[in-house]
Amino acid sequence: MKNAAQVLKKNTMIFVLVLVFLFFTLTTKGQMFTALNFNALITQNAYVYILATGMLMCMLTGGNIDLSCGSFVCFIGAIGGICMVTKGMGTGVSVLIMLLVGVVYGAVLGFVIAYMNIPPWIATLAGYLAFRGWGTALLSANSSTGSIAPFPQTYLKLFSGKIFETPINELNIPCLVVGILASVIVILLNVMNRNSRIRKGYEVSTVTAMTAKTVISVAVILLFAYKLAMAGGIPTALLWVVAVVLIYEFITSKTTIGRYFYTIGGNAEATRLSGVDTKKIMFLAYLNMAVLTVISAFTVIARFQAANSTAGTNYEMDAISACVVGGVSAYGGSGSVFGMVVGATLIGVINLGMSLMGIDANWQKVIKGVVLLAAVVFEILNNKEKSKE
Amino acid sequence: MEKTNIGAALKKNTMILALVLVVAFFYWSTDGKILYAQNINNLISQNAYVFVLSTGMLLCILTGGNIDLSVGSVVCFAGGIGAMMMDKGMNLWLAVLVMLVVGLLVGMFQGFWIAYIKVPPFIATLAGMYAFRGLSNVVLQGYAVSVTDTTYLNVFGGGADCYVPDFLGGNGINLTCLVVGVILAIGYIALTVKNRLSKKAKGYTTAPLTSEVIKTVLISALIVWLMYMLAKYRGIPSALIWIAVVLLAYSYITTRTTTGRYLYAVGGNEKATRLSGVNTKKVYFFAYANMGLLSGLAGILTIARAASAQPTYGQGYEMDAIAACFIGGASAYGGVGSVAGMVVGATLMGVINQGMSIMGIEANYQKVVKGLVLLIAIIFDVMSKKEKK
Repeated sequence: MKNAAQVLKKNTMIFVLVLVFLFFTLTTKGQMFTALNFNALITQNAYVYILATGMLMCMLTGGNIDLSCGSFVCFIGAIGGICMVTKGMGTGVSVLIMLLVGVVYGAVLGFVIAYMNIPPWIATLAGYLAFRGWGTALLSANSSTGSIAPFPQTYLKLFSGKIFETPINELNIPCLVVGILASVIVILLNVMNRNSRIRKGYEVSTVTAMTAKTVISVAVILLFAYKLAMAGGIPTALLWVVAVVLIYEFITSKTTIGRYFYTIGGNAEATRLSGVDTKKIMFLAYLNMAVLTVISAFTVIARFQAANSTAGTNYEMDAISACVVGGVSAYGGSGSVFGMVVGATLIGVINLGMSLMGIDANWQKVIKGVVLLAAVVFEILNNKEKSKE
Repeated sequence: MEKTNIGAALKKNTMILALVLVVAFFYWSTDGKILYAQNINNLISQNAYVFVLSTGMLLCILTGGNIDLSVGSVVCFAGGIGAMMMDKGMNLWLAVLVMLVVGLLVGMFQGFWIAYIKVPPFIATLAGMYAFRGLSNVVLQGYAVSVTDTTYLNVFGGGADCYVPDFLGGNGINLTCLVVGVILAIGYIALTVKNRLSKKAKGYTTAPLTSEVIKTVLISALIVWLMYMLAKYRGIPSALIWIAVVLLAYSYITTRTTTGRYLYAVGGNEKATRLSGVNTKKVYFFAYANMGLLSGLAGILTIARAASAQPTYGQGYEMDAIAACFIGGASAYGGVGSVAGMVVGATLMGVINQGMSIMGIEANYQKVVKGLVLLIAIIFDVMSKKEKK
C-alpha cells in the first residue's frame, strides 16, 4: 500500500498526463485517440521539445530562463528565408548560416550573462524585443506580405513531412519496425543497467517494479509506432526531437559537464569553490540554448513552409511551462530531460485537446497560464513537504 | 580638486547627461522638431502610462530585482473592463473605480503567490501575462470598443480637449499653465532651502552651496521652461497631473515612509531585514499589489489616450517600464533606485521613441533600438558598480 502511494507520488505528472489524455479522449468522443491526432501531437509540438531541452539546461543553472527564444525563432526564420528564397542559396549553406547566426547570438548572450553578470531575464528581454523587431523588419523588407515562401523542397524534406510516407490508414512497415527495434533496445538497456548496478553493489528496484516499468514503456512506444504507422509514417520532426532528447539525456545524466549544471543550480558558490569554472557553464547554457533555438526554428519554418513575422510568438512560454510542469525546479538544480518530455507532452495534449473540443483560443491562453502557475505552486509545496520530512 | 568634483558630478548624473545628448541629437536630426511645443505636449501625454507603470515597477525591482511581466496584459484587461462598462452606459466614475479595483485584485492575486508561496516572480507574472491577455480578449470579445464619454476623456488625457482650462484667460498663451509653472518653481526653491536649513540645524553634511544653487536653478528653470512650452500649446495636459500625483506620492513613500524604506532594505539584504523583525512577505505582497493598482491606473490613462480599448493594447508595456527603471539607475539586483532616476529613464525612453518616430524610423527598428538601449543601460549599471567596488 505504502509502495503504491510512493509510486504515485514519484510519477505524479505521468498519471496526470494519462488522466488528461483519457479526459480529452472521452470529451472528444475518441477523436484524441485517432492516428492523425497522434501525428499532430508530435509535429505540432516538435519545437516545444527542442526549445524546452535548451531551457532545461538554463533553468538547471539556477532557475535562469531565456525570454528571447521565441523572437529568435522568428529572426532565424527571416535569415533562412532570405538565404534560401530571396537569394536562392543551397539548403546546406543556408542551414549552416542559420546555425552560425545562432552560435554568434548564443556566444554574445552567454558572454553578457556569464562574464558581465547581467541578469539573464534582462539580457534576454532585450533580445526578445530586438529580434522580434529585427526579424519583422527583415521579412517586410524582403516581401510585401511580411512572409517569405516557398522554401525549397530539399529543406522541407529535411525537417518536415514523413519518412517512407505511405497513404493514411495503410500500415507503414518501416515505422512499425523502428518501433519494435526501439522497444527491444529499451528492454535490453533496462536489463543491462540493472545487471551492472547489481554487479557494482548499488541498490536496485524490485523485479516487479522494473518489469512493470519496462512493459509500460514498451507499450507506449508500440502504441505510438502503431498510430504513427497508420498516419503515414514517422514524422521527420520526430527524428530531430528524439535525437536532441537522447543526446541531452546522455549529457545531463552521464557526463561531468552535465552534472556541473546541476551542482551550479544547487549551490553556485560551493561549485565555484570546488574548482569548477561556473562562468563557463553559464556561458555554455546560453550558447546551447541559442543553437537549439535554431534547430527548433528549422522545424517550425518547415512545418509552416514559410517564414512569418508572427512565428515563435509565446514559444518561450511553452518551453518554460514544459520544464516547470515536468518538474524542473524554478530555483535550479533539479529536473530531468525525461520529466521535461512528460511536461511538454502534457501541455501538447492540453493544447490539442482544447482545440479539438473547440475551446476559444483566448481561453486556451488563460488555461495555459493557470497550468503554469499551478505546476510551480505544486512543485514548491511538494518540496516544502519533502524538506519537512 | 575642481577636476575630480566635475568628474564625480558627471558620473553621478550620467543619465541626465545622456538625456541632454539624446535630445541634442534629435534636435539636430529633426531640425528642431523634437522641441516644438506640440511635441513636448505629446511626449508627456503619450508616455503617461510609462511613468505610472515604471513607478510600480520600481517598487518591485527595489525588492531584489523582481519584475512584473504581466503589466501590459493587466493594463489591457482593466482598460477592457472599464471600456465595456462605459460602453454599456455605466457611470464613468464607477468604471474608473472598477478598473482600479480590478488592477489591485490582480496585483494582490499575483502578490499572494509571489510573497507567500514563493513562486518566482517572473514565472508567476509570466503566467499572468498570458492569462490576462486571454481574458482581455474574452472581455472585449476580440473587438475594439470606443470610449466616447468626453468627461472621462478630458479628465484622463484623451480626445481633443484634455487640458486644464485656462482660468486666467490668457491671450494666445495659457496663463494658468505659466502661473502654475512659476508657483512650482518657487515651491521647489523654497523646499530646497528649507531642507538645507533643517539638515544644517540637525548637523548633517550638506552639499556645497555652489552645486546646490546650480542644481536648484537648473531644475527651476527646467520647470518654468517646460510649463512655458506647454502654455504655448494648449496648457497643462491632464495626463501630466496624474503623472505628477503618482510621482510625488511615490517619491514620498519611497523616501519618507517606513514601508518605502523596507522596500530598499529587502532588496539590499532580505535575510537581515527579516531577522530585524520586518515582515518581508508583506513587503513583497505590497510591491505587487501596488503594481496591480498602478497597472489599473495606467489602463485608465491608456484607454483615454486612445479613446478606445482593444485586445492588443498594452503589449510591450512591461518592457517600457522595466527599461525606464534600469536606465534610470535602478539596480537589477534590488535595493538601489529612485523615483527621480526612473523619471529621467522614462523621459529618455520617451524622447528616443518620439525622436525616432519624427525621423520616420520604422516601428520594427524602433524595437531593436529599444532592446539595445535597455541592454546598454544595464551593462553600464553593472560595470559602474564593479568599478565602485
